[in-house]
Amino acid sequence: MAKPQENGRLELLQGTLDMLILRTLQWGPQHGHGIGQAIRQQSDDLLKVETGSLYPALHRLVKRGWLKAEWGVSEANQRAKYYRLTAAGKAQLSREQDRWSQLVHAIGRVMNPAPTGKD
Amino acid sequence: MRPDQRELDDEIQGHLALSIKERIERGEDPKAARRAALQEFGYIPDARESMRRVWYSRWFDAAANFIQDVRIGFRSLLRAKGLSMAVIVTLALGIGANAAIFSVVRGVLLRPLTNRDENRLVYIRQSAPGVGTPNMTFSVPEIADLKSRVTTIGAFGDFSTVEFTMLGLGEPRVIKAGVVSGSYFEVMGLRPVLGRLLDTGDDGPNAASVAVLTYRFWTTVLKGDPSVIGKKIRLGIRNTIIIGVLEPSVPYPDDTEIIANVFTSPHHLDATMRTGRTHRMTELFGRLAPGVSLESARSELTAVHDSMMHDHPEAYSAKADVRVTVTPLRDQITAPARTILILLLTAAAVVFVIACSNVANLLLARSVRREGELTIRAALGASHGALRRTLLAESVVLCGAGALLGLAVARPLVAVVARFASRFSVRALEVTVDPSVLWVGASLAIIAAVVLAYVPRLPSTYAATGFGLARAPRGTGGVQGGVRITPGNNRRLRVFATIQIAFSFVLLAAAGTLLATLIAMQHAPTGYDMRQVLVLDVPPSVVGADRAPTIDFVQRATRQVRELPGIQGVAFGTFVPWRDARGSTFPHFQFSIEGYTPKDGDENPHGRLRIVSPGFFAVLGIPLIAGRDFTDADPNGKDTVAIVSQSVARRLFPNGDILNRKFRWTDQLFNSLPPCRIVGVVADVDDEHVVGGPAFTIYHPVLQMGFANRMFVRTAGDPHALKDPIIRTIHEVSPNQPVDRVNTLQEVRADMLSPERLNAFVVGGFAVVALLIAAVGVAGVLAFSVSARTHEFGVRLAVGLAPRQLLQLVLLEGVLIVIIGIVAGAAGGYAFAGVAARYVESIQPPGALPLVAAAAVLVGAAVVASLMPAARAARVDVLQALRTE
Repeated sequence: MAKPQENGRLELLQGTLDMLILRTLQWGPQHGHGIGQAIRQQSDDLLKVETGSLYPALHRLVKRGWLKAEWGVSEANQRAKYYRLTAAGKAQLSREQDRWSQLVHAIGRVMNPAPTGKD
Repeated sequence: MRPDQRELDDEIQGHLALSIKERIERGEDPKAARRAALQEFGYIPDARESMRRVWYSRWFDAAANFIQDVRIGFRSLLRAKGLSMAVIVTLALGIGANAAIFSVVRGVLLRPLTNRDENRLVYIRQSAPGVGTPNMTFSVPEIADLKSRVTTIGAFGDFSTVEFTMLGLGEPRVIKAGVVSGSYFEVMGLRPVLGRLLDTGDDGPNAASVAVLTYRFWTTVLKGDPSVIGKKIRLGIRNTIIIGVLEPSVPYPDDTEIIANVFTSPHHLDATMRTGRTHRMTELFGRLAPGVSLESARSELTAVHDSMMHDHPEAYSAKADVRVTVTPLRDQITAPARTILILLLTAAAVVFVIACSNVANLLLARSVRREGELTIRAALGASHGALRRTLLAESVVLCGAGALLGLAVARPLVAVVARFASRFSVRALEVTVDPSVLWVGASLAIIAAVVLAYVPRLPSTYAATGFGLARAPRGTGGVQGGVRITPGNNRRLRVFATIQIAFSFVLLAAAGTLLATLIAMQHAPTGYDMRQVLVLDVPPSVVGADRAPTIDFVQRATRQVRELPGIQGVAFGTFVPWRDARGSTFPHFQFSIEGYTPKDGDENPHGRLRIVSPGFFAVLGIPLIAGRDFTDADPNGKDTVAIVSQSVARRLFPNGDILNRKFRWTDQLFNSLPPCRIVGVVADVDDEHVVGGPAFTIYHPVLQMGFANRMFVRTAGDPHALKDPIIRTIHEVSPNQPVDRVNTLQEVRADMLSPERLNAFVVGGFAVVALLIAAVGVAGVLAFSVSARTHEFGVRLAVGLAPRQLLQLVLLEGVLIVIIGIVAGAAGGYAFAGVAARYVESIQPPGALPLVAAAAVLVGAAVVASLMPAARAARVDVLQALRTE
């Protein structure tokens, strides 16, 4: 799913960022910086999301109607945009989760085949 | 919902603030924290751009940029007002002329007729090229033959034109009326807007006299009064009922006010009309039978016509070479206009080319001046595309404005061109500015805009990196000395100027040729003394068509009008020169003179029949060559007399012994007239053609023929002042006598020449526009060249050249451009005329005089145009010029 980078971090696989964002926002509304930090912490610092891809992704998800953006005041006491999961976003998350488990399972089968060809 | 720039920036700032705060909390130094946060974030504009891209497509941005460019272009053009106005006016003329002519071409040539299934409608014509008769029309027996034998044409419609005195609708007056059989409207596929049209129930000698009004007559004269249906009027000798109004349609072959059934015209019922095979006055139309092609109808009709001629050899002489043609009605109506409209379209296209090259010139000069600005922009990272876009935006603004103005000009131009074209095709009368003109205007503007945007050269990379930039600030500062002119730009400017001159020369030469034709016509001797001659139409009044009352009227009117003060002579006749020849083909009749026998194979000569009263020749200034004029004594006794024109005497009796010979008409229509003794010979006049030629004319005395419908009065002073007294006197003699079309003979003549005048006017207009544009072009090129060479001139003056010599230098430069242009134009013009002559018959090579005149006008214009820049060159201040470097 990810390849190691020089600094030991993993680069995100194409298309998984949206899923990670949706997943992160399951716990409640968050601003862009917070989402990036959350992904990093929850992956034990293995995944680092570049701001250059995080923000366009957030806007893309808003445009699709999976997120809703609202202005609020951040911990730094400055205007920040908070993103919240919409109902459509929740449905999308569960779809992506299903697809993801299937993908992991399928790739696992290919990479580690059982010697007899059966599980 | 779409975030704007500000919102995106706020979001990024919010992120950075959080990031910095977090680092400081982790114990980093605030300055280092800030730097690290920025570094981690990456290049902010890129991030912002990729966020924007989610919401805004590239097309959106391109359009927004272009709008921005247009706005900038608009502002920068406002600063160059003179240039912008020159460009816009030039383009407006080019686009307006094209749009106007295109809408006339479309209206006349391309639009279908209103007639139902107009593509099945054909016009059938009988012509006799052997005796120079392009349209000899048909006689009733001929039409009957064709109708009974031809099957490929489903139905025939016939139309003939007569004149009626009309009473009961306004003033009593003589109107032109169509006389048609009942099948006519069905064949033509026309509908009534009111009442009904004529049908087969209105045919035959027992029908009632009924008539249909044309739409134009109904709307203009009767103001669209619906109560006119059922109204009784008097047409000639018949009481006629108006039964309907025809829908608007092309009036062809003749523009009549009323269309009546055959019964209304007594002439159509008499034996000459019904049985005379050579008594031809009817036009014929047909509708192709279902499934029949034009070619098969054509070949069948030709075959039937051939066998008909074979059956009646006496009516079709071999020399006349009578033949029949079948043409789709629309082609027939539009054919004469096709050539002239295509020529006009060419002229308009030429003006467009001239306009574009002039505008290109102006813009090229401007772009050289702003090379500095472009260089700076290029150096600051503007791509070639972006620079081109700026230029395109400017030219779009210019061409858009030009097109708008052009379309405003198009409306009055359409009126002029339509009037011009209406003499070739009646359809032009209904032409209005049509919406397709918008498309023509818009596409011409777009073509011009794109072409013009690619005229200026963009700064090269080399110029952008150093050389060009070093000089740029001066150029942008507006100091003229800072303008550089490269040999390439200079050459291009000259090429454009030369193109303009060449095309202008062609147009000027064409206009000059037309003008020369017009002048030749105006000064052509007519044989008449036209000064102070009034002509009046005095058609036989309602009942006064009989001999005795006519003679009585003529004699009394002559006597009483003669007694008015200021009258030198009064006479009657049957034919106002030129005016009565217009519109209809006037028949010539065969005659014989005792003592003259035609050579073998020749038929009897044809002559014009005119009836005149004593004094006619004196009133019109036609010299009597031999013998005597008619006198009031002529009607007494059995001695019927005639006077012939000089051509008759000279050609048929070269020995000069024509007097006292017996003359008689051999034509069926007049062979019942008694033979006459020739008592006089008068000079030739050609009263049918604007450009006169020898004419065989036979004059009979009114007092013996008992017919006259035109009056001629020679006055001592201003003829116009005598109009009213003359008309009053006529009404004293005969209160019901219609009097119409009172004009001087000079006015009649001028009116005949109005097509030529209009020709010369329209093409001359084009030529003047072209000349103006070209003169501006030459002046522009020289002004530019002078301002670019200020330094050089300074040096020349410093080394001792006199300012006058400098003036000559610049003038010569202008004249040189013009001469090269003229040579190119002459060569190109002849080549084009050679090609065009293959398709268009009426092209004649212009005479030497118009060519020389056109060249002289151009050289003169060039000298005038060069004067201002030349004077500026001569005034160059040496010190300042040298300092500009």
